[in-house]
Amino acid sequence: MTKTTDVQPNDVASYARKAASGTLTRVARYTAMRLLTLFVTIVIGVYLTILIANMGGYVDEILKGDIRERTAISISNNPTYRDYTVEQRNVLIQDKIRLEEERLGLNRPFALRSFSYLGNALTLNFGRSLNMVSDSGSKEVRNIILERLPSTLVLFGLSNLVLFFVSVFLALALSRHYGSFMDKAIVALSPTSAAPPWFYGIFLILIFAAVLHVLPFGGMVDAPPPDNWFEYALSVAEHMILPASALMLASIFLSIYNWRTFFLIYSSEDYVEMAKAKGLTSRDIESRYILRPTLPTIITSFALLLINLWTGAIITETIFNWPGLGRTLFRAVGLYDTPVIVASTIIFAYLLAITVFLLDFIYALVDPRVKVGGN
Amino acid sequence: MLKNRLMSILGLLVVASMILAACAPATPAATEAPAVEPIAAPAEPVATEAPTAEPEPTAVPRTTRTGGWLDSITMIGVSPDSVVTQLQAGEVDLYASTLGRAEDFKSAQDAGLDYSQNYGGTYELTFNPYGGGENGALFDASTGKLNPFAVSAIREAMNMLVDRNYIVQEVYGGLATPKFFPINGAFPDYAMLADVARELEAKYAFNEEAAAAAIGAEMEKLGAVKNADGKWTYNDELVSVIIIVRNDGDGTRKPIGDYVGAQLEKIGFTADLQYKTSSEASPIWIRGNPGDGLWHIYTGGWITTAVSRDDGSNFLFYYTADGLGQPLWQAYKPTEEFYAVSQKLNNNDFATLDERRELFANALRLSMQDSVRVWLVDQKAFSPYRPGVQVTSDLAGGIQGAQLQAFTLRFADQEGGEMTYAMSDMLVEPWNPIAGSNWVYDTAPKRFINDYGVIADPFTGLAQPQRIESAVVTVKEGLPVGKTLDWITLEFAPEIQVPADAFVDWDAETQTFITAGEGTTALRKSVVTYPADFFETIKWHDGSNFSVADFMMLWIMTFDQGKEASAIYDEATVSTLETFLSAFKGFRVTSTDPFVVEYYSDVYALDAELNVFTNWPEYGYGNAPWQMIALGNLAEANAELAYSADKADANGVEWMSFIDGPSLEVIGKYLDQAIAENYIPYAATLGQYITAEDAAARYANYKAWYEAHGHYWVGTGPYMLDKVFSVEKTLTLTRNEAFPDLADEWAGYAAPKIAEAEVDGEGRVTIGTEAAFDVYVNYEGAVYPANEIKEVKYLLFDATGALVVTGMAEAVADGQYVVKLSAEETAKLAEGSNKLEVVVVSKLVSIPTFAAFQFVTAK
Repeated sequence: MTKTTDVQPNDVASYARKAASGTLTRVARYTAMRLLTLFVTIVIGVYLTILIANMGGYVDEILKGDIRERTAISISNNPTYRDYTVEQRNVLIQDKIRLEEERLGLNRPFALRSFSYLGNALTLNFGRSLNMVSDSGSKEVRNIILERLPSTLVLFGLSNLVLFFVSVFLALALSRHYGSFMDKAIVALSPTSAAPPWFYGIFLILIFAAVLHVLPFGGMVDAPPPDNWFEYALSVAEHMILPASALMLASIFLSIYNWRTFFLIYSSEDYVEMAKAKGLTSRDIESRYILRPTLPTIITSFALLLINLWTGAIITETIFNWPGLGRTLFRAVGLYDTPVIVASTIIFAYLLAITVFLLDFIYALVDPRVKVGGN
Repeated sequence: MLKNRLMSILGLLVVASMILAACAPATPAATEAPAVEPIAAPAEPVATEAPTAEPEPTAVPRTTRTGGWLDSITMIGVSPDSVVTQLQAGEVDLYASTLGRAEDFKSAQDAGLDYSQNYGGTYELTFNPYGGGENGALFDASTGKLNPFAVSAIREAMNMLVDRNYIVQEVYGGLATPKFFPINGAFPDYAMLADVARELEAKYAFNEEAAAAAIGAEMEKLGAVKNADGKWTYNDELVSVIIIVRNDGDGTRKPIGDYVGAQLEKIGFTADLQYKTSSEASPIWIRGNPGDGLWHIYTGGWITTAVSRDDGSNFLFYYTADGLGQPLWQAYKPTEEFYAVSQKLNNNDFATLDERRELFANALRLSMQDSVRVWLVDQKAFSPYRPGVQVTSDLAGGIQGAQLQAFTLRFADQEGGEMTYAMSDMLVEPWNPIAGSNWVYDTAPKRFINDYGVIADPFTGLAQPQRIESAVVTVKEGLPVGKTLDWITLEFAPEIQVPADAFVDWDAETQTFITAGEGTTALRKSVVTYPADFFETIKWHDGSNFSVADFMMLWIMTFDQGKEASAIYDEATVSTLETFLSAFKGFRVTSTDPFVVEYYSDVYALDAELNVFTNWPEYGYGNAPWQMIALGNLAEANAELAYSADKADANGVEWMSFIDGPSLEVIGKYLDQAIAENYIPYAATLGQYITAEDAAARYANYKAWYEAHGHYWVGTGPYMLDKVFSVEKTLTLTRNEAFPDLADEWAGYAAPKIAEAEVDGEGRVTIGTEAAFDVYVNYEGAVYPANEIKEVKYLLFDATGALVVTGMAEAVADGQYVVKLSAEETAKLAEGSNKLEVVVVSKLVSIPTFAAFQFVTAK
């Protein structure tokens, strides 16, 4: 006996509704859990940063000692007070020390301040720095960071974008010409990336600035800067040549090598061989059969590259006297300027969290095998 | 296969060559002309060439150029690591910050650069002198460890354990001079006491054996014994000496710490070297309880930014509990005699300068016996510049610290030109004249924009008149004040009455001055008269004439911020005002044409030149016209900006900047408001000096200035601040053609006139007979005029190194002196080799010159 089941249109619609509802629930649940997890991670990460940056509160002791030493020397060396007695100067020194400690909030327990820092950070209320000022003289942390952002983006953004796309496309081409002279040359040169950008920077400065006198030693623009915006842009471009070259030289060969190795794995997949056998052009094979399945990795790498720009490159900026974020953050760490450190960290944390969150959805969009919230 | 191998080898070669190149020592650049050293300050005796004939003086025609020598100056920040290369490449003309590393010095010399040197940095060993327990040399009971440095005799002996010449040569590559005392070897007090200093330097010269013997004897008294390994032990535990070694800064303290540790190990101590940065070290050595025993020795360092003419307070500061209210200072226990001497020197408690000299000499001796600090070296940092650049460098502050740099900076034999002036940083903090940035990188550009009533002589620290016509200083009879220069009149009076109408304070509510009333007296009075055409010839950079109101605003601001009733009250200024008021007795403007100002105070300096009060509108962080302050006050009173960082933080507003940033918009808003209202600040007082027309003209000029230059910073100096580029860390200065003085006004201050000395005479002297030695004093091949020489002293050391005789050489002619030893004096010498040392003290430069002559004595 055969039992047949008639599927009614209403049932299909009902099933589709249930399926859609199930998907929505799954995505919503996943989103909520993901956001909660990321938020907790951010809270823990930022609070750890606060604790580490302040050495668990020991920085207060350091700052107090520093204030005493600095104030004593400052007043003792001030010609205005030279003819005053030591007693008079001591009264002044003690008062200045008290005011400075109050200004820095050292009269409040660190535990309380640490939660203030955390609360302000999470609400993106960056507030004011302890000691640092922005280039234009502002104590607002927002200005301290934003004033350095353009110069960071223009150098590191451009260099890294060029580096990224050149690496990917050259690597893709090399993966199709495995064993060629160029392929071997890149493999041979990849160890040169063991040296950091500043290492190449020193050589480039010596060659092109000190010896050949064709490019500037450093800085972002000529001194004095040109009044005309076009000349200004040209000057910036000229000043970018050496640092950008250093950044690229230090990474390009290894980057190409990495991507080339990555693409090689996909290039030897059966479906690629099948495509070759079917007589598809190299261009079609690259775009449809190699790039497509590797897109999630490429997108991830690109997204992380973008947010990593936030940290700048401390030593390279120093070598080239480039007014970037890296030096600002390095200075903030040296000065124990917690608000600036925390602001930088929280922005990075939020950017990373948003990126990670969005990538989950992007993966699902570009790769049909991936399902948001699926197992 | 072959290709693969070739590529692999090629890759390896590239990497290897880079690593090798990076590890290789820097290759010296091609040697050009030898570097010129404008300052040469020999601490050790130097032999100089025989005197040569004085060249015929040639009259140098004066320039007709006003303002600065240069057309424009571009100031930039440059990394010290690359500055020598950039100077060599012509990217930079002058580096005004200082370099202290020997390798940089060599590179600069090899590159054919010129340079100037200064003596700002000082390094020493700070001892923890805490001592308790049964032998008076134990840390607190909980640790019970021995602190050998609680014993002054051990600290004193440490002076002989360290070889300062070794440190000078090996650590500083010659860029330092040995130092024994808490006074700078390049400053006037050292020159005054050179004979005493030389005697003590000989006594405490490097002598390992003597140090070990003295320390060993004291250690045994403390109950310590040496074990079989020759190590000191106490209660069967090794005596460990914790040395906190600073490993930051210029890096020179690390090798010093290593060296001291090695020396201590040599004589049986166990050295525990703890390397720390300033931040890591300060909670331990300056804030920590010395009784906790966390350290014994700290590698200390101090800086001086200006030539100090009176270091008398250094003993109380460095050696007594009065010096600083920190735990370490409270552990200082100087002898009663040393404390009394230190107090007298600090309080100027002496009647004559001779009495001061005696006290000072005694303090030097006692400081060596106390030795809670063992002074090591005065560092000689240098600032390189391209050949052809001329500039004044302050003996302490260097180029960037010299007020006169603005007046002398030029390309040699050239009027005009554009110069690139570099420092290690630029535009660090906001500029405002009341409580803005005091970073040297911000102060240095202001020195070009500012003008002065008097200017600090970069070589002696004395004040030289710049904008004042004359000055009369009156001090109470019996006070040890003297004068050196002719431009000033010094008088003494049995009593100095402060006129009843002199202003002594400020009523912030009524905005009027409070007068002294009857019966107030002061220890010092300064009367300064300005030139008759003063208010016509001096102009602010925005074109406004200088006025009496600019001076009066300075006085108002001296008080107003510290008064609670003021709209611009700032708690941070209260203690500063109280300190000032504790000695201030009054001021009075007795005439506005010519402008004459009287000033009364109980604070006085030993030099009359430093007692002149010029009332110049310099607010501590820059010159400022009254309208600049008025606008700043409006912004502060309305809680939109604040002068000081403290108040800015307290109110959550921006720290005021007149050159860039968010402040400019606020200042601009109040400028428009002031123009609309024709605002006269502090009208109850300044209304007497500012008319409505004056105010309108001032504001209009100021606005036009902003529109042309994009900032609100003006001065009256030889250069104007043209443009500020904050992110690029660059600013430009242009010549102030309206400056009243010619560019060569201070041309004589391009380089310090440091004397060169040579001693000559018989190489063999019979004991008990008279002897004479010739002393030749020159400068760059010409004789040093006798009227520019303060004194030529001599010191006679016998064959054992003991000081036998001191005295003054007699002047024979310009540049020639003779040292005459009597028969009685030579009779004090034993047979052997003796040393005659001569100390030449100039009136023009505070650095003394030493020269020595060896001769043998026989019966």
